[in-house]
Amino acid sequence: MAQISLSEAERTFIIHGIQDNCRSDGRSCEDYRHMDLETDVVSNTSGSARIRLANTDVLVGIKAEIGVPLPERPSEGRLEFFVDCSANATPEFEGRGGEGLALDISNTLSKAYDNPSSLDLESLCILPKEQCWILYVDILLLECGGNLFDVASFAVKAALHNTCIPNVSLHRGEDGETQLDLSDDPFDVKRLDIKQTPSIVTVSKIGHYHIVDASMTEEECCLARLMVGITEEGTVTAMRKSGLGSLHPDSLYEMIETGKKVGKDINKTLYKRLLEEEKLGQNKRKVGFLG
Amino acid sequence: MLRIKTFIKKTKKGGVLKVVREHYLRDDIYCGSEICSQCRQEKTVLQRTAPSLSSLVSQSHYIIPDTNVVLHQMDILEDIAIKNVIILQTVIQEVKHRSVPAYKKLKDVLSNSSKYFYVFTNEHHKDTYVEREPGETSNDRNDRAIRLAAQWYQQHLSNAQQHMEVILLTDDAENKAKARQMNIVSFTVSEYVKSIEAYPDLVDRLAKCNVDGPSEGDGKFKFPEHLPLSAVQRGIKSGRFLQGKYQASRENYLEATVYLTSGNDDESANTVFLQGYESLNRAVNDDIVAIEMLPESKWTCPSSLILEDSEEKEDTEIDNQEDVVKPAKKTVSPKQPTGRVVGIIKRNWRQYCGILQSSIIKQATRHLFVPAERRIPKVRIETRQAASLQGQRIVVAIDSWPRNSRYPHGHFVKRLGEIGDKVIENEVLLLEHDVPHCKFSEAVLSFLPKLPWSITEEDEKKRRDLRHIDVCSVDPPGCTDIDDALHCHKLDNGNFEVGVHIADVSHFIRPGNALDQEAASRGTTVYLTDQRIDMVPELLSSNLCSLRSEVDRFAFSVLWEVTEDADVVDVKFMKSIIKSRASFTYAEAQMAIDDKKRKDKIAKSLRHLNRLAKILKQRRTDQGALTLASPEIRFYIDSETHDPIDVETKQLRDTNSMVEEFMLLANTTVANKIHQEFPDCALLRRHPAPPASNFDPVVQVAQAKGFAMNVNTGKLLADSLNKAVIKKHAYFNTMLRILTTRCMMQALYFSSGTLPYEDYVHYGLASPIYTHFTSPIRRYSDIIVHRLLAVAINADTSYPQLLDKRKTQALCNNLNYRHKMGQYAGRASVALHTQIFFKDKILDEEGYILFVRKNALQVLIPRYGLEGTIYLRDNKTSQGPFSFSEEDGSQTAEKVVLHVFDKVIVQISIDKSNIQHQKLQLKLVEPVVPGFSVTPAQKNGQVLQSAGVEQPPKKKSKTK
Repeated sequence: MAQISLSEAERTFIIHGIQDNCRSDGRSCEDYRHMDLETDVVSNTSGSARIRLANTDVLVGIKAEIGVPLPERPSEGRLEFFVDCSANATPEFEGRGGEGLALDISNTLSKAYDNPSSLDLESLCILPKEQCWILYVDILLLECGGNLFDVASFAVKAALHNTCIPNVSLHRGEDGETQLDLSDDPFDVKRLDIKQTPSIVTVSKIGHYHIVDASMTEEECCLARLMVGITEEGTVTAMRKSGLGSLHPDSLYEMIETGKKVGKDINKTLYKRLLEEEKLGQNKRKVGFLG
Repeated sequence: MLRIKTFIKKTKKGGVLKVVREHYLRDDIYCGSEICSQCRQEKTVLQRTAPSLSSLVSQSHYIIPDTNVVLHQMDILEDIAIKNVIILQTVIQEVKHRSVPAYKKLKDVLSNSSKYFYVFTNEHHKDTYVEREPGETSNDRNDRAIRLAAQWYQQHLSNAQQHMEVILLTDDAENKAKARQMNIVSFTVSEYVKSIEAYPDLVDRLAKCNVDGPSEGDGKFKFPEHLPLSAVQRGIKSGRFLQGKYQASRENYLEATVYLTSGNDDESANTVFLQGYESLNRAVNDDIVAIEMLPESKWTCPSSLILEDSEEKEDTEIDNQEDVVKPAKKTVSPKQPTGRVVGIIKRNWRQYCGILQSSIIKQATRHLFVPAERRIPKVRIETRQAASLQGQRIVVAIDSWPRNSRYPHGHFVKRLGEIGDKVIENEVLLLEHDVPHCKFSEAVLSFLPKLPWSITEEDEKKRRDLRHIDVCSVDPPGCTDIDDALHCHKLDNGNFEVGVHIADVSHFIRPGNALDQEAASRGTTVYLTDQRIDMVPELLSSNLCSLRSEVDRFAFSVLWEVTEDADVVDVKFMKSIIKSRASFTYAEAQMAIDDKKRKDKIAKSLRHLNRLAKILKQRRTDQGALTLASPEIRFYIDSETHDPIDVETKQLRDTNSMVEEFMLLANTTVANKIHQEFPDCALLRRHPAPPASNFDPVVQVAQAKGFAMNVNTGKLLADSLNKAVIKKHAYFNTMLRILTTRCMMQALYFSSGTLPYEDYVHYGLASPIYTHFTSPIRRYSDIIVHRLLAVAINADTSYPQLLDKRKTQALCNNLNYRHKMGQYAGRASVALHTQIFFKDKILDEEGYILFVRKNALQVLIPRYGLEGTIYLRDNKTSQGPFSFSEEDGSQTAEKVVLHVFDKVIVQISIDKSNIQHQKLQLKLVEPVVPGFSVTPAQKNGQVLQSAGVEQPPKKKSKTK
């Protein structure tokens, strides 16, 4: 990840600020920064969303394609995550520079989504063992301003909400070969229920305290962090620790609790905003990348 | 303004694809009306006054038709009564999507400036663009778009200083109701057309699409239902149904064959036989149908009966078909795979020429139409002008074929003219053979060179100047499209230089322009007996390209250096300028050769050519080239009435064969050259060797006369043919050759990349490779070959389509089709003239038996190149004096035995018993069979004028 050099005094300033629950930009420890969200930004995807949080900019596009279900889960469709770290975000991503981070993000996301309660994968199955919808989730990091995991997960959630999967009907020919019938009405689509989908909240341990939504400089001071996948009900679907430092079981517990509390909130807010945006329908003012 | 159009489509692999298109709306799309002052348009289409012919609307008005009206009622829109029509872009797009022929017609009407049809691009207009709403079908959306555009026009034109109505024509009741709610004046087509009192015959042209209701027929279904397209496609994919082209039988209207299309390979197509009303299930000739095979126990074979649909009563029950079909089942001939039609994949209905069947009830408006093409069923049409259509050739289009109707429903399109009128009959002939014969459009003519045309210095620089060489052309008399010229002179080293100069048509027809496209579509010039349908406009065919004498012309020359013994030493290709010294006819050239006194260069040149040609011909014959025969005749046309007054079989002179020989040489030389340069995309011509079984009839006949035919290779066949000569029976050999000709396959154009080299062979000419190079004025294939050769010698640039083997093959397919149809049309024209020639004559003529059939003899009359049938049995009682022997193929009556190739004398006359269907009739004169043969008309063969009205006795035997 992008490296920033901090002097010892700056570091101390940040740590002390967090001790007093007042971070350098004025937030408290459990506050997120301001976030801009827009869905349906890429018209040739099945669903898309873009989130800008401070300087972090993530675009997610979802493409629904028909494929064969995995043998061990014959009656389920699936999600495939792919993260692309654009070299526009930071020069370090150039070449294969971003690969490690990309793999981290996509692994964490697939782990978070890998449970029966978060998304109804069975509804993505068209014909058990033969055909199902595969949602290819492409995450593009456009700019890095810290907290990539969280933003990516929010954007995925929003894009899933925006996803329209065409309704298909099946009929079987005499020879047993299946035929797909596609309705010619572009509005005849299936939507996904994202109420239970997880968001990732990264809780960073700085000094003796922990914060959410660390900025770039804060990330620089952080010794260890915990990514927690949390649903709106507070169920933890995935957890992952990263960073050089180690964590005491007590603080680990505290951090999970914080993650849960913040995660519940952010999920709710996100869902509410998504519904509000949808209600606007055609009258929505499109911002896109020029706004 | 940017809008985005999104739709989802299924890919071939079974995936689903979301497609997004950008769609820009504009504010500079104008209404096209003369009365409008708001739109800043440069040119208007719609007239200031569009006086109403209809009694429904009093004011002048513009018409907006919806998609279905354009699709189905094109014949109305094409009429001169309908003017000032606004065609919406939505409509054009839908029409294009649903029916290509309808789209083509629409394009034609649109380009006709006297119809005042205006295209309004409503889909891009900012006020008339509509986006599809949730739950709306695309049809509903399009209807809404049409209504909105109509409304826009109404409001837009209301601002003009002059009043103008806009009328929406739709046959859809719901659409009409919705339009009325929006205050748009709207009618159905039939309401509107019926209110046009000035043009009462328009009503006849209304297509009847929505007539299958309880009102029609007795509700009894006569045909099985067609499966929907989706079910058919599924069936085909699963292999339960087969897809193929439906070809009705010419002989029996209850039988047909389906040529299955298995993949791209359309030559080795399997055929499936169909029999009976239910199996045929309303398929019409040339339709693409889906069929289901019947179980093997139900397989049958074609009955050898010749059946014509002659039932007078309409809609008689079709149960009696059993009687018709049954006899076939008794026969022992091997059963064929039999199937039945389950669905129609694509209708290939066109407009049909024919006549109106006289109706018993004079005042009736429903009539039956009898097409000239026998493979097309009769068509039910509604007309109020039946009385005036009697005895006329008319054109009819089929609209639909409901399940409960025995005949398809159609509507009257236009009348061509009197039956028997030569001009009209020619027109019928061209229409029926799909020969494009309309005048060249303005767009095509615009690509012609401007007159006076002259050779520029630049041309001279690029081309070799061969004007100093004494070139001459040899052609049939009266030929104006001279595309080849020859020369030959002795070189200093003792060898000869022989040159073939072909009109450089590709210089004038540049790839891709309208002229080129038109020529490619026409494919060939069609020669009728008294008319020539040009492939390229006359300026080119008879003037600028034609290598006439004493003028400078561009040519594509092939120059050989040959030895005394006609061995080619060297060959050169070049674009050149030549000046022909003389245009000979074959006879004149022959005279110049024979006239010993002539010592000029031209005569010498001809003599050399003639000598070399003979060597070449001998060499070709030695290699196994076939000399085949087909009777060809020439009519002497009366210069005033243009009726044929005498017939003559074409004479063949040395000079014919001389020209032919050098053309063959040029073609083969060029074929080798272009194949060498473009192994993948050269346009070549092949003539596949026929399978040995094709020759069975010839072998049998020859055997009967004591000759063994060896048909294994072309060479052996040629030898066998040469040996089979009977001294006393001079015509025997010719007859044998005529029969052999009929065993041959069709020669075809093809793209060299599509076949292995072994298949390039031209069987008839015994040449491993062949193409057409020498007649670019009358064949499009030659133009392509010219272009290829020009690229090969760096005289011209290539273009992508030329080098694409698939494009070339597609072009070849069209050329093959046009070529075939052109030949058929030519033959039909000869038949027509023969008929006119015999109009008031009864002649006795010598003929030879070509085939002996169970109930008839087929006789060839060499003098007229005419072939006809003598029926030996009465059609109804199937009795006659003759008995048929299958073993040696002979017919015996008392002492008279008739074999194949026997000489007979027949009487030729025209059967006038049916005015609408006149046909040639042959009767036996000699050998005399009492009770069957007729007395000779006149011993000395003089023409006997039969009294015009009196009917010649149909069959003498019956009167006894």
